[in-house]
Amino acid sequence: MPLTQDMLWYKDAVIYQVHVRTFQDSNGDGIGDFPGLEQKLGYLQELGINAIWLMPFFPSPLRDDGYDIADYYSVHSSYGTLEDFRKLLESAHNRGIRIIIEMVLNHTSDQHPWFQESRSSQNNPRRDWYVWSDTDNRYRGTRIIFLDTEKSNWAWDPISKSYYWHRFFSHQPDLNYDNPAVREQMWAVMKFWLEMGVDAFRLDAVPYLVEREGTNCENLPETHLVLKDLRRRLDEQFPGRMLLAEANQWPADLRPYFGDGDEFHMAFHFPLMPRMFMGLKLEDRKPIIEILQQTPEIPSICQWSLFLRNHDELTLEMVTDMERDYMYDSYAENKTMRINLGIRRRLAPLLENDRRRIELMNGMLMSLPGTPIIYYGDEIGMGDNINLGDRNGVRTPMQWTGGWNGGFSDAEPDRLYAPLIQNPVYGYPAVNVLAQMGSGHSLLHWMQQIIGVRRSTAVFGRGSIEFLHPANHRILAYVRRLGNESVLVVNNLSGAAQAVELDLRRYKGNIPIEMFGKNIFPRVSDAPYLLTLGPYQFYWFRLRRL
Amino acid sequence: MSQDTVLRAPTIVPGIKVAEETFLTDDFLRQLINVGEVDILVGLPTHNNAKTIEANVKAIQSGILRWFPRERAVIINADGGSRDGTPELVTGVSIDDVRASSNLHALRTLHSISTKYSGGPAGPAAMRTILAAADLLQAKACVLMSPESSAVEGEWFLKLLRPVRNDGFDFVCPTYRRHKFEGLLITNLLYPMIRALYGLRIREPYTHEFGFSGRLAGGFLNQNVWDEATGGRGAELRFTLAAITKRHRICQTFLGDKEHIEHRGADLVPALRQTVGPLFSAMDADFPVWSAVTGSQPVPTSGPDHEVMMEPLRVNRKRLRDMFSSGVSELASVFQSILSSSTLSELHQIARMEEGDFNYPSELWVRTVYEFAASYQKSVISRDHIIQSLAPLFRGRALTVLNGNRNSSAEEVEHKIEELCLEFERSKPYLLQMWKAGE
Repeated sequence: MPLTQDMLWYKDAVIYQVHVRTFQDSNGDGIGDFPGLEQKLGYLQELGINAIWLMPFFPSPLRDDGYDIADYYSVHSSYGTLEDFRKLLESAHNRGIRIIIEMVLNHTSDQHPWFQESRSSQNNPRRDWYVWSDTDNRYRGTRIIFLDTEKSNWAWDPISKSYYWHRFFSHQPDLNYDNPAVREQMWAVMKFWLEMGVDAFRLDAVPYLVEREGTNCENLPETHLVLKDLRRRLDEQFPGRMLLAEANQWPADLRPYFGDGDEFHMAFHFPLMPRMFMGLKLEDRKPIIEILQQTPEIPSICQWSLFLRNHDELTLEMVTDMERDYMYDSYAENKTMRINLGIRRRLAPLLENDRRRIELMNGMLMSLPGTPIIYYGDEIGMGDNINLGDRNGVRTPMQWTGGWNGGFSDAEPDRLYAPLIQNPVYGYPAVNVLAQMGSGHSLLHWMQQIIGVRRSTAVFGRGSIEFLHPANHRILAYVRRLGNESVLVVNNLSGAAQAVELDLRRYKGNIPIEMFGKNIFPRVSDAPYLLTLGPYQFYWFRLRRL
Repeated sequence: MSQDTVLRAPTIVPGIKVAEETFLTDDFLRQLINVGEVDILVGLPTHNNAKTIEANVKAIQSGILRWFPRERAVIINADGGSRDGTPELVTGVSIDDVRASSNLHALRTLHSISTKYSGGPAGPAAMRTILAAADLLQAKACVLMSPESSAVEGEWFLKLLRPVRNDGFDFVCPTYRRHKFEGLLITNLLYPMIRALYGLRIREPYTHEFGFSGRLAGGFLNQNVWDEATGGRGAELRFTLAAITKRHRICQTFLGDKEHIEHRGADLVPALRQTVGPLFSAMDADFPVWSAVTGSQPVPTSGPDHEVMMEPLRVNRKRLRDMFSSGVSELASVFQSILSSSTLSELHQIARMEEGDFNYPSELWVRTVYEFAASYQKSVISRDHIIQSLAPLFRGRALTVLNGNRNSSAEEVEHKIEELCLEFERSKPYLLQMWKAGE
């Protein structure tokens, strides 16, 4: 199955996020690798996804799960070789699967040779590749992101006897984008991977590239200029490739990252995700509708990227204090589940392993405007291990079978990069791919089905959205439209059965056809359209004028 | 198919009604379906309250946002056919206005819904509608607000709802700061008599604003108090009595000033019908409960259980005395059926007293009330006539209280109320004796 040639392929994509380390170990060293991931492409193809987002796989001291890169032109030896990566890329493309890789523009590891040179002397040619200062008083209006570990955005370097700027961990010095040499170098890095064939970059931490005194050093015009320049070069030299922004910001602040369609193709919709969880817990559509109504229009070639869970904590930066307290009390009563301003848990445990809620949340993920991203393991309802430090509890090995190491690796269990989930509810003997493949009612089969239905029409990826406002606030209903095609989505956010009357007069005469079972429902008339929904049930109806 | 497995039509038992007329309109039911299960329900009965209702609804919304932001909440307006646009004002108050003015944030949808019933000023139909809504929506904690209040404060909701929502109480009675001559029917009859009968010191047993649990609402809704004969008259007082007799957990909470509402003399008989009638009526069914009670106990109270204001209040004492005297004279034949000869004789003596010497003593007042209750039980004459004929005697008692407390301090007033309560408790054997004789 060749790749589609559509320039807007990312709009129709269903993306699977995975760290190569976590997926499949092919050489028995206890660490997942590229050949292992390549072996599992058939599984991913069968699941129905058509893009893989690979987390950082570059050489790194791994003090921040690979987001501390020490060499941009190679791969970490634990994961294989550059050639292994090339083969993975080729195999994926042959299966119609695109590869998105991480690109950490904002900072490097302090072990990167560039930083080692930079700190070595004030006169080193790479001195200005990083942001140095004699004082830690500059840019005082800038917030600290990792509140749990960092006290300042400046760190003292005893070697060069001055302070360096870091927005994340102190072992991750920020690159200086005011230096043209840095900008050229980072484009050279991107070009290296694009020439190899990667389809897209997820650009990490993009709001923080440039610093200016008197500002909060986020979302600055100068940062946008850097990004637009990268985009221009990409379009000129590699048309059809894509840039995805990681910018944990409010929708209005995110909007500039799309520019006039000349900056990012896609950006994560961070504020929506916690509100989906909030709406579910509150059994009220209000938070979801509110944030989507605050979401500005974006250029037609651009797209939001939606997700339920990822490798990080369920971030609560983009909620009010009151909402954050509510989310903590609702989803992380145990304080060890909390980290930074978020909750370090996987989807299934967050939803108390309630299959109905897991399905509903995935149903919304797949039907709201944007491109969905599935975090590896969530398609089978994997659990987490909050006893592992940092966010490692949601980065445990993929559970393929109920056998040795869950089918992940032939290594001795104590050599695995991280212990498998072992508990009776979520452990690999109970939750694994093999068992779910053998069960027609498994979550895995259900995920295959919903991805298939989602991909059966372009309306979910490209269509407009019109919210209905039934008086029953537990019902989140909307119509997605693209050309002559209309899909009605009705979600019951409540744990109790609900009746709802929908005003569908605009669609009078249409016949709703339920998209999973293909059953016909009564024709829409002038009268309120009455539906009853079971607990957490949702419907997708194709509205057909016949 | 064997005979054993033949499907039979279900047997219909004659006399059992399976389809009854509903008092909830289809439209209201539809609105309730849309609201769904709630944690907090605020009942707001109205009838031509356009002047105050908008501010009250804003205060309610503000109270909910401030004190119960996470709870599923609904405001239910039961309107008795207002012609001044009251229901529209209730549903028209935007939560956004409240948020903007109070800087409060709402996590959830806050519903305001309205339904109309035919029945005029807020009364039993409104209360029944609100209780039914509480029952259908499985409300955890509810509050009924008085439509006449013009000083509703958001904090009231905290005080009336929190004991139910957080502390497991089923009924939260308010207490107020009242003028010393305000609420004489309560301080001279309802409070002391209910205290003596049921053994609980509930300071405001008859109130239009109180908190309650969904459990209490559901149980009361199914009681036979809504029959056509009475039209559910006195439902508020019956609600208090139901909370007591069903052994629900009761507490009191101090709400602050009770507004003074001017009463016309003609209001007294309806007030007696609303309160004393239901009390006397309930005594029949509640006999096993109250007959076993001696003494009284305080109920848990947040804040003071009362406060007294001392501002001067104009009262037409001469009119009260004249109405008492003419009542005793004109209703002599009625009183002969109700009262003992000694009680009646003493009342005649009082009626002949000069205004300056007028005194209807507590002991005689208690005996009068108990004899009325016993006569009500025996239905010596029409029960409604019994209640009506109490009016002139109550005026005489009121005049005595006014005269006796003209210069009294708050403590002295309260001391006399307590003395009266104890007199009701001490005389209870007399009531029991008459009651058993009646049976």
